[in-house]
Amino acid sequence: MNSVAKGPHIFGIRHLSPGGAYHLRAFLDQVRPTIVLIEGPSDAVAEIQYLTGPEVKPPVAILAYTTELPVRTLLYPFAIYSPEYQALVWAREHQVEARFIDLPTAVFLSLESVTGHEDAAAPEGGMGRIYRKWAELAGESDHETYWERYFEHNLNPNAYQTAAWEFGRSLRELDNQSPAETAENLIRESFMRRQIQNALAAGHDSDKIVVVTGAYHASALATAGEAMTDEEIAGLPRLGSKLTLMPYSYYKLSTQSGYGAGNHGPAYFEILWQYMREGRMDLFPVHYLTELVSYLRENGTYRSPAEVIEAVRLANSLAALHDGSAPTLKDLRDAATVCLGHGDLGVIADAAARTEVGTAIGQLPEGVSQTPVQDDFNRELHRLKLERYKTTVAADLDLDLRENRRVKSEEAAFLDLQRSCFLHRLELLGIPFAHSRQVNQQAATWAEAWVLQWTPEAEIGLVESTLRGETIELAASFLLKERLDAARGVKDAALLIREAGECGLMASMEQARSVLQGLAVDSGDFLEIAAAARELATVIGYGDIRRYDASYFIPLMQQLFLKGALLLMDAANCNTEAALAVITGINHLNLVALEHFETVDEELWLAKLTELSRRDDRNPTLSGLACAILLERNRIGNEQLAGEVQRRLSPGIDADLGAGWFEGLALRNRYALLSRNILWEQLAAYVSSLDELQFRRALVYLRRAFGGFSPAEKRSIAEALGNVWGMSGVDTSDLLNRPLSEEEKQKVESLKDFDFEDI
Amino acid sequence: MQNQAILRLPAEILYAGEIQALKAAEKDPVPAGWQMSPRSVLAFITGGKAGGTEITPKYVGNRRLVEMAIATLVTDRALLLIGEPGTAKSWLSENLAAAIHGDSGKTIQGTAGTTEEQIRYTWNYAMLLAQGPSEAALVKSPIFRAMECGGIVRFEEISRCASEVQDALISILSEKRIAIPELATEVAATKGFSLIATANTRDRGVNEMSAALKRRFNIIVLPTPADLQTEMAIVQKRVQELATNLQLQAALPSDEAFLKVVTIFQELRNGMTLDSKEKIKPPSGVISTAEAISLLTNSMALAGSFGNGKITEADLAAGLQGAIVKDEDKDQAVWLEYLENVMKKRGAEWRSLYKACREMNS
Repeated sequence: MNSVAKGPHIFGIRHLSPGGAYHLRAFLDQVRPTIVLIEGPSDAVAEIQYLTGPEVKPPVAILAYTTELPVRTLLYPFAIYSPEYQALVWAREHQVEARFIDLPTAVFLSLESVTGHEDAAAPEGGMGRIYRKWAELAGESDHETYWERYFEHNLNPNAYQTAAWEFGRSLRELDNQSPAETAENLIRESFMRRQIQNALAAGHDSDKIVVVTGAYHASALATAGEAMTDEEIAGLPRLGSKLTLMPYSYYKLSTQSGYGAGNHGPAYFEILWQYMREGRMDLFPVHYLTELVSYLRENGTYRSPAEVIEAVRLANSLAALHDGSAPTLKDLRDAATVCLGHGDLGVIADAAARTEVGTAIGQLPEGVSQTPVQDDFNRELHRLKLERYKTTVAADLDLDLRENRRVKSEEAAFLDLQRSCFLHRLELLGIPFAHSRQVNQQAATWAEAWVLQWTPEAEIGLVESTLRGETIELAASFLLKERLDAARGVKDAALLIREAGECGLMASMEQARSVLQGLAVDSGDFLEIAAAARELATVIGYGDIRRYDASYFIPLMQQLFLKGALLLMDAANCNTEAALAVITGINHLNLVALEHFETVDEELWLAKLTELSRRDDRNPTLSGLACAILLERNRIGNEQLAGEVQRRLSPGIDADLGAGWFEGLALRNRYALLSRNILWEQLAAYVSSLDELQFRRALVYLRRAFGGFSPAEKRSIAEALGNVWGMSGVDTSDLLNRPLSEEEKQKVESLKDFDFEDI
Repeated sequence: MQNQAILRLPAEILYAGEIQALKAAEKDPVPAGWQMSPRSVLAFITGGKAGGTEITPKYVGNRRLVEMAIATLVTDRALLLIGEPGTAKSWLSENLAAAIHGDSGKTIQGTAGTTEEQIRYTWNYAMLLAQGPSEAALVKSPIFRAMECGGIVRFEEISRCASEVQDALISILSEKRIAIPELATEVAATKGFSLIATANTRDRGVNEMSAALKRRFNIIVLPTPADLQTEMAIVQKRVQELATNLQLQAALPSDEAFLKVVTIFQELRNGMTLDSKEKIKPPSGVISTAEAISLLTNSMALAGSFGNGKITEADLAAGLQGAIVKDEDKDQAVWLEYLENVMKKRGAEWRSLYKACREMNS
């Protein structure tokens, strides 16, 4: 190229850099080019007009994805302050042609499968060491602060362009990229040179061409080098791919590490961009800190304006210590920690994240977006032979998760299992395409029933999932990760393990397992632990049918079970209301003990139950329940039971305590009780021993204790008692069925202070 | 010469050469009332070079925190250093005062018995009775003197003073002047005046600081050393210095002993193993770096005075037991849990220490 001296003008930038956008606009105003060439996928021509349309609200992204499995994606996010985006906007405002000049996405995706890394323009990974070294030399703690102080804040004309140029050139000199990365860069640069030549050939004056490219490529594009020929372009490897625009979010931008710059605080950079354009750089620290403090105040932490003033002063003085013209984000956050957080970052962390990252979500006009999740969904429907369910008519689907031995391929043998995973993932993501239906046969761990129905809401849910990941699977594991981060109790974490298992996401299961382990150490809540142990037991129980290695969770379940058993005695010290929850907990743990008797410490559990059943100072209902469980297990003999009943139901003890105990006893298998004559003998003896007043009191509680029994059971009890009192079964039932006599009615009337319903 | 007998010299004398060198090599503007520029102060604390003189690092750890402390003092705000015991709060405050003002001696050592007079001024009562209130009868507090000469005053252990006494600082810090109604006059702070306070958050017997007072400070929390290497370096350096200073008759602990003690301390403090795979219950008390240092020097003293001059596992175990199990039964359980769940599984090198600790904790 012989036209290097006066053009085309190469403007090196860092992606997502407000300073770059500011200087680029100034540069464009000065040069007034007839065409703007921008580093971006050259096949995204059609998307350019949508990108800068009036209805579009950044952040938005161009998304390229392969049409075949495995889905590979490329993302080009744009914020309002992206230099590339501002170049497009400038071109539109001035009715000038704008063009993307980087490799088409089809080639990129294919190259990526070789080099395996996302964006060579910002080689954070390999260059990390060099970046750190530079920052250190400049006396800064990290690269981002260094970059912000020396590049973003410098508003002198041409400063950015020169600095970025030098920056890119030095990077190339220190080049320590892998051969694959270097090769990819050479291909890209050669392709971009060809595009520049094309623009020249189309009649654009070389002085009227501006090329916007990553700093790394700037010096390479300006020097002479091979441009790609038509044959070479045709010979590039390609993968079938599609392009779409999608709304993006600042949150997602901030979590995309490794891509370009400025992504750690998108909202902050937008503030910076605004004030840069207004020429009031002195004001953005004030804006940042004021916004932060107003979040703090909203959430109940009051800080005075005087403290905000001090924070601004401290930030400025920190910047001065580094010869900076304005505070960097790090200066601001440190100043906020000191002055607004009183030294504690935790106080301001939430407010700082909201101020820096923000909650902005981009907007696109309707119909522009066709996301890879939608594609993935359709592909999955096809693979799982569910396409015929994609109608607006609800249809039932019954799944049998067991291996289908009548078919040959592995794929077909577990078709239903995979369907189940898929449907669970949709349910997790809140995509209302499938709803699970109750299965009648409860014990059948292999059966699932679903109702499938296609609705517009389902489509919307799908598009929204794009922000979580490019395929249903990725989105589901992202969501699980988020929920896991938010999980505070062992119960939540255990539930997430189960959900991850149902969704067939092994990596998420492992993540959840380690979170649960961490939470379990600190947890001292019996109910939570019991529920978690129960969930884990289910997870382990489903292991075979869902084909994951459940043995992995056994140590954790043992740990939880042990802790639960040890906490039992404390938890049982509660009032009647709280006892309801504890009952559930005990039943959970008992179920675990029954289902996994060979792995958990069953003896300890039974020992604890025995202790509970004998204690008088714990909640009587729970003691009764413990007794009932032991009775089922044949751990209590008739004599022991008799002794226990006698003690609990002795006249000296309050009737409510005795009845409460009896209530607990009756919570489990009632037939086991009915068949034990000794129990009824003791009860009969108890009732006979009460005087009139005591009897009235006891009546209420006894009635409550037997309230849950069915009429047939009550009849059996009456007969059993009748036997004790020397009446035959026939006589008793005869007596019970006879209408009440007048005298009896009066007696009942006299008890009307008590609430009788259906005795 | 006479300095030889002093147990501990103030920073400005100990490092007089370095301060001279920094002043001589000064290139940046010096704020009013300071003796060197903020950047030179930073170099004095975190180490570097001034002309031909090597500046030793005084504070090992987060450089950024030192920057924030200096930046605070540039804005004439008072600085409050908060941290657990043994995080070098006083050390940092002394060196900052020495570097900025050349005198770290204007100090109030806060106790429960500190009175308001010690913060403002008091009287030479003999003179007061003889001549009535006069300039000559005034006994000035360190704060008073620092205001007059535009220097830095240090307030150690501020949270140990009674709240009423702490609050005497409120108007001094916001108005930067002390009124002397008896003489119908007041003293106003000259440029360069500032105050560095230190406070301990987790010890017992401290008073909560009022919000009004906190607002007048820029608060910086000094963390415990974040990684193993930093803490190893600090502990090793200090143990060596102390051993020479106190002439302990024992060999220095082996690197392995350092590594083990610091590992145990870090893991218990952070509540998880170093590879962050397993969570651990931390003990109720604070286990500071300072304790790791005294634990090791203690072990050396034990070995030197009663043993064969070499530190045994039993010496370490005794020290660990004392440092970790303070006064609660809970700590004993925590320590036992750690021994069983973590240390026991660590393999052969840890086996003998495990056994010694297990014996000690039974």
